[in-house]
Amino acid sequence: MKVDLYNAIVSAQMSRRKMLKGSASLGAVAAMGGLGGAASAAAHGGVRAEIMKIPGVGMGSPGDPEWQKVGELCMGPVKERVAEGEFKGVELTFMGLNNQNLHNFLFRGFLKPWEAYTGAKINWIDLAQADYNPRLQQSIATKTVDFDIIEMGAPFEGDTAGQGLLNEMPGWVKDQIEYDDLVGYLQPPVGTWDGKAYRINIDGDCHTFCYRKDYFGAGSITGRMNPPNTWQEVNQISKDVAGKTDPLTGLPAHGFLDPLKGWGGFGMYFLTDRAGPYVKHPDDPAFLFDIDTMKPRINNPGWVQAIQDVMDLIKIEGAYPADQINADPGTTGFQQFLAGTGSMLTWWGDIGSNARTSDTSVIGDVVGFSAIPGSDRVYNHGKGAWENNYNEAPNNAYLGWGVYVTNRVEGDAKKRKAAWSAAAHIGGKDISLWTSAYPSGFQPYRNSHFNYDEWEAAGYDRAFVEDYLGSNLDTYNHPNSLNEPRIPGIFQYYSVAEDELAKGYAGLYGSAQETADAIAVAWEKITDQIGRESQVKLYKAALGL
Amino acid sequence: MSIEEGDKLHVVTADDISDNKKRLGKFLVWGSALILALILFIQTLDTNAYLSLGLETWRPSLYAYGLWAFCLCASQVLTRGEHGKRVLFVLPAALFVISMVVFPLLFGLVIAFSDWNLSSPDGRTFNGLDNVRQMWGDPFYWNALKNMVWYTLVIIIEYVIAFGLAILLNSHIRARKFFRVAFLLPLMLSPVAVSWMIGKSMLEIRFGPISRFLRWLASEPSADLPAILYYPGMYISEIAQWFGWASPSFFGSAGIARAMIMAMDAWTFIPFMMIMILAGLQAIPRELYEASEVDGASRWRQFLEITFPLMLPVSITAVLIRIIFKLKLADIIINITSGGPGGATDSVTSFIFREYRDRSNVGYGTLLAIVYLVIIVIAMTILIKLADKWMKPRY
Repeated sequence: MKVDLYNAIVSAQMSRRKMLKGSASLGAVAAMGGLGGAASAAAHGGVRAEIMKIPGVGMGSPGDPEWQKVGELCMGPVKERVAEGEFKGVELTFMGLNNQNLHNFLFRGFLKPWEAYTGAKINWIDLAQADYNPRLQQSIATKTVDFDIIEMGAPFEGDTAGQGLLNEMPGWVKDQIEYDDLVGYLQPPVGTWDGKAYRINIDGDCHTFCYRKDYFGAGSITGRMNPPNTWQEVNQISKDVAGKTDPLTGLPAHGFLDPLKGWGGFGMYFLTDRAGPYVKHPDDPAFLFDIDTMKPRINNPGWVQAIQDVMDLIKIEGAYPADQINADPGTTGFQQFLAGTGSMLTWWGDIGSNARTSDTSVIGDVVGFSAIPGSDRVYNHGKGAWENNYNEAPNNAYLGWGVYVTNRVEGDAKKRKAAWSAAAHIGGKDISLWTSAYPSGFQPYRNSHFNYDEWEAAGYDRAFVEDYLGSNLDTYNHPNSLNEPRIPGIFQYYSVAEDELAKGYAGLYGSAQETADAIAVAWEKITDQIGRESQVKLYKAALGL
Repeated sequence: MSIEEGDKLHVVTADDISDNKKRLGKFLVWGSALILALILFIQTLDTNAYLSLGLETWRPSLYAYGLWAFCLCASQVLTRGEHGKRVLFVLPAALFVISMVVFPLLFGLVIAFSDWNLSSPDGRTFNGLDNVRQMWGDPFYWNALKNMVWYTLVIIIEYVIAFGLAILLNSHIRARKFFRVAFLLPLMLSPVAVSWMIGKSMLEIRFGPISRFLRWLASEPSADLPAILYYPGMYISEIAQWFGWASPSFFGSAGIARAMIMAMDAWTFIPFMMIMILAGLQAIPRELYEASEVDGASRWRQFLEITFPLMLPVSITAVLIRIIFKLKLADIIINITSGGPGGATDSVTSFIFREYRDRSNVGYGTLLAIVYLVIIVIAMTILIKLADKWMKPRY
């Protein structure tokens, strides 16, 4: 769970009474687990209930002692497959992040009991988020991969698995981590390459739609009872509220907050939110490139419509806050939406959590969540025509973090087993419930994480958890969701698109089509530079074709 | 002890260097050079898959270079005696510079003429002048260069302000020492801090104090105010509204965004020029002013005939160094506008940063950097020559 979400739930929802009630329920659940069912299932359930009490919801943020304790309690599956001291003399190097003093710090705690039991030793490479991509790319390009286990986002699978740098997951690991217990969008082909599995999931990511409840309902300034279901409605609301007064702050009211400035490539996800329902046809797995040629689709009528929607709002005075041309997603999310400017936004889970904990947030009581809106029509790229059908395509932006083993372990069976055992331990089913429920930097990603009874029993407020996590679940399991293409250099495409979009939004191109054409030309250059043939092959592999 | 004839550096010992020592010195140099060449050759073969030694890094070559450098230094003493020892004062530094500057520059040139995208499975491949052609047709690069011309021209205004402040601080004003320190403070701040504190906080359009102040100016005064305050308030409000301060935007349009970047950068670096000019002002002899006063020169005349001409060398140095700083302008832009809106504030360095960091386009990014370096070297050489020419008739 993200730290902020945890704090949000704890500070806004918890009360002593609820806590006691939760503890009592937890005790009851634990007791029931001990009374019935098979012994292993009982032990399993017992572990889940027990770790959910460490340190207990509302009992402060857990630290290294708690992480070690959780790691120790979840050692069961490891012990079933590894003998004590089996990896004595094995040294592994683990490269991961140090964001918010979590990620690698958490893994260290989880893996201490594992090290003590197996006899292996783990060396750590901690990286800041901003250093991660250059470090990984340089390691690959200069053939100096110096790590055996890596924490990595799925978008980089093209750069690593696509270039044969990863080790295939053994069958016993799949059994240990209960590989199939994943939300829809994380199911293969994500985590696989050419049919081989490489990824142990430890996180989930998606964009959801955040809106201000006080803009909707009887007597609201939009005059609408419900939040929008389509992007057409979103744009209409943005136009309608321009020039009106925000009901909460008394300042000018605004509709949807598009980030018009780039964000190191990440800004492209936000245009994709808009474009998804226009361009992701349910019968077509692709939405960014043609599958057989890597010809960009960014300048097809669907994408152009999404860019046009933004340009339409730019032209309307007051539709966006002043200076929106200089607003990146950080600005729209934290400086605008949380501060009461604007009424609609798409973002990752951070907004939902910060809404109730951030000192600058004023919208904690009026924020609502849903899956990203759909569209009244969808562009069928294959047929080259619009179809007037309602279409939804929520965006699973970034696909979350996973743990992978590199091919440095190949040729050394003992080291390979050790690396996969360590990775499987931190990606185990029970431990993942704990990381979902407590500050860890990771979000729920297994279907089993959405058993709200477990959350409620642990002391969480069910209403908030259901509202917020429910919007994530709807997105995760959507049959027509947008999933990362996972091709090498994907952020290069995004980054150059941001530059061209900035020019288009500043009026330096004649139209949305011209802007999109410029992006397409730039994307073609990148494809040619990286290698069209290999990109086509990897794109197909990424789509599982 | 004797003094060698014609040796101005006064070699104090007459070295009696034996042939054996000379032979040993030559052997060391050539032997180590041979080892270096051999290792370089073997590593090249290994890298290009003609050998399979499995060498993972170029460290063996580095160690061989270190050995050769050491032997070269030792041979100087062995073959040339005290002359050689004198060379040792410079040679290690020269070798260090060669290894840290010249070699990387040469490698940089190789990379600049390569197609090297870190995501490409093919790795680095030589692509001749393709990167130059791409640069020639790259509107983002030319736009950034054009912006750099504007950014650099602003140095003239910065210089005038710095000169004025320096004169002010050189005069006998109260709390002079305090002001000297106070005016220097912006220089001590990191441009990253400046961009966050000013660009992202004080100029934030909704909460920033400057935005709030401008909005307050543009708001209509309360009707309850006495007439003496109300009517001027209305007048100020109308002017402020005419300027668009009712809804201020500091980075929304190209011109204003560029001006704000210029202002923030100037605020940081004007103290640098100021302190250099102030040091120059303090070095001007008082007698010159006293003599001119006897001749009846006005303050303005004194400035034109004494202060400004005498300050020219310092001024030119300050401006040249400032230009070098300015050409590296990137941090403020990256933090605040990312080059926007629509490339209006992009600098060459911030554009190269995006090519490198966001797009892993190492070959093209390196070429842009090398071309920029060449432009800077040529421009600075011309400027220095011109500055020499301007100063020569007077001094």
